Amino acid sequence: MTATPNAARPDPTHAAAVTSEADAKGGLPILPVTLLILGLFAWSWWSLDVQVVKVEGAAKRLAQFFSGLVPPDLTVMETVLRSTVETLQIAYVATVLSALLSLGAGLLAAANLTPAWVHQPVKWVLGVMRGIPLILVALVFVVTIGFGALAGVLAITFHATGMLGKFYAEALENADPRPLEALESVGASWAQRVRFGALAQVAPDLVRDTLFRFELNFRESLVLGLVGAGGVGFYIQLYARAFQYEKVATLTLVVLLMVVLIEQLSTWCRRRLR
Amino acid sequence: MAYLADREGGLRMDAYPRTASDRSAPVAETVVRLDHVQMRYPGQDTLALDIETLAVREGERVALIGPSGGGKTTLLRLMNGTLSPTSGEIEVLGERLNRSSQPREQRRRTGMIFQGFALVERATVLQNVLSGRLGYAHPWLSLFGRFSDEDRRLAREAIAEVDLLAKMHARVDSLSGGQRQRVAIARVLAQAPDLILADEPVSQLDPTLTLEIFDLLTRACQRRAATLIMAVHQPDLALAHMERIIAVKEARILVDGPPAAIDEGVRARIYDRDAERRPA
Repeated sequence: MTATPNAARPDPTHAAAVTSEADAKGGLPILPVTLLILGLFAWSWWSLDVQVVKVEGAAKRLAQFFSGLVPPDLTVMETVLRSTVETLQIAYVATVLSALLSLGAGLLAAANLTPAWVHQPVKWVLGVMRGIPLILVALVFVVTIGFGALAGVLAITFHATGMLGKFYAEALENADPRPLEALESVGASWAQRVRFGALAQVAPDLVRDTLFRFELNFRESLVLGLVGAGGVGFYIQLYARAFQYEKVATLTLVVLLMVVLIEQLSTWCRRRLR
Repeated sequence: MAYLADREGGLRMDAYPRTASDRSAPVAETVVRLDHVQMRYPGQDTLALDIETLAVREGERVALIGPSGGGKTTLLRLMNGTLSPTSGEIEVLGERLNRSSQPREQRRRTGMIFQGFALVERATVLQNVLSGRLGYAHPWLSLFGRFSDEDRRLAREAIAEVDLLAKMHARVDSLSGGQRQRVAIARVLAQAPDLILADEPVSQLDPTLTLEIFDLLTRACQRRAATLIMAVHQPDLALAHMERIIAVKEARILVDGPPAAIDEGVRARIYDRDAERRPA
């Protein structure tokens, strides 16, 4: 047998053929995709009439804004604390309500616990609830119920249920099916199978999702104050419109502190769940 | 005991032997009866199980042996009512199985030990064993963890029987494989069933633990006069501990008889796939 010197050397034609074959099998063609991304960016940039020169003036105004923040006006501390507590209460009540609603919705939306004619429509409803922007939901409740915390609570509950319901359903669907089958075989009812088979397995996941949602609810309830749905956000926009930036600074500092504290507490709790 | 030659040329125990001396003795009740049962999984062309007749009597200890994929688990799940046959009739403990309307009173009389334990890993030993009483517990109060004193007593007795009292409040995910299997057995014992079905209960255990679990299970069944039908991968173990061997291969019962009926030739027919295909 004679050795062929070219045997170990890669054949460039062959390599090209392999690459084309990989592309044909589902790999994205790099050049056209890159051109598409750049083209879309350019089209959006020019359509939006972005003028970089405006940033120079903005930087100056931004510096003026921040200089107005110091020193923070602590005379509004009582209002700040009261409204922050109200924001926390809105977030907490909305979290509890949405957790309860999501538990029911999640059980119905879990494909391993209910037939398709039940879980599919429930999943669609949850998708719609998630899909409507929160600010729009809040505006609807402010218009129909009036200004105040209740509109905020209902808006966040509605929006959070869309998300938590989906998370709960996914957690339940990931439960090991074998304990559920074992409980079915001992004569357990549907509710008993859910309680002792599914929920017993995924309870830490549900609590983790709920704590995470509480963090989100607190931040979202700040924004909702801007449209009159109660809480600290209402005072932020009130003082900002009156150019009282030192009061806005006090509000912002307290809110930042609260966000960090809630995140730390939530992370600490979630780490201990197993 | 009388044996009949089956249509495949194997041995089948005569389910209803009658001799002059037998007639005066009490006849054990049939706890499981399959009649012309066929099972085909959705989307599959071949039958997963095709059994003409099968009867298991009260108090019998039956081993299902045979190669993987032969139909042992399907047979157990049909007896358990978690699968419905494509055709044929199954009667368990005097009741015809109908999965769509199988009442809890019927289900709780049949205990099942699943392959891979099927326990809630983050629950305690006691919680897992108590779940074996759910067929008896109050349907709503039990949801809040309220079990009767009788339920709790039976759960504790079952835990004591598998020698896990010291671990009663330990989480299952902190236990060894052998201990987990004991919890699964205790859950079934707490159920106080008349029929125990076990699907490869020792498949994940080392040889020493395998013997322990086998011994524990057979003794627990004898003590309760419960019928035991167990799928096992170790034919030697089955031959040593069980009184009836049913070999299931390629969806059919190949051999049904006492351990003495399983000689080397029969064993080769059960496990040697090529032997089946070789011309005689």
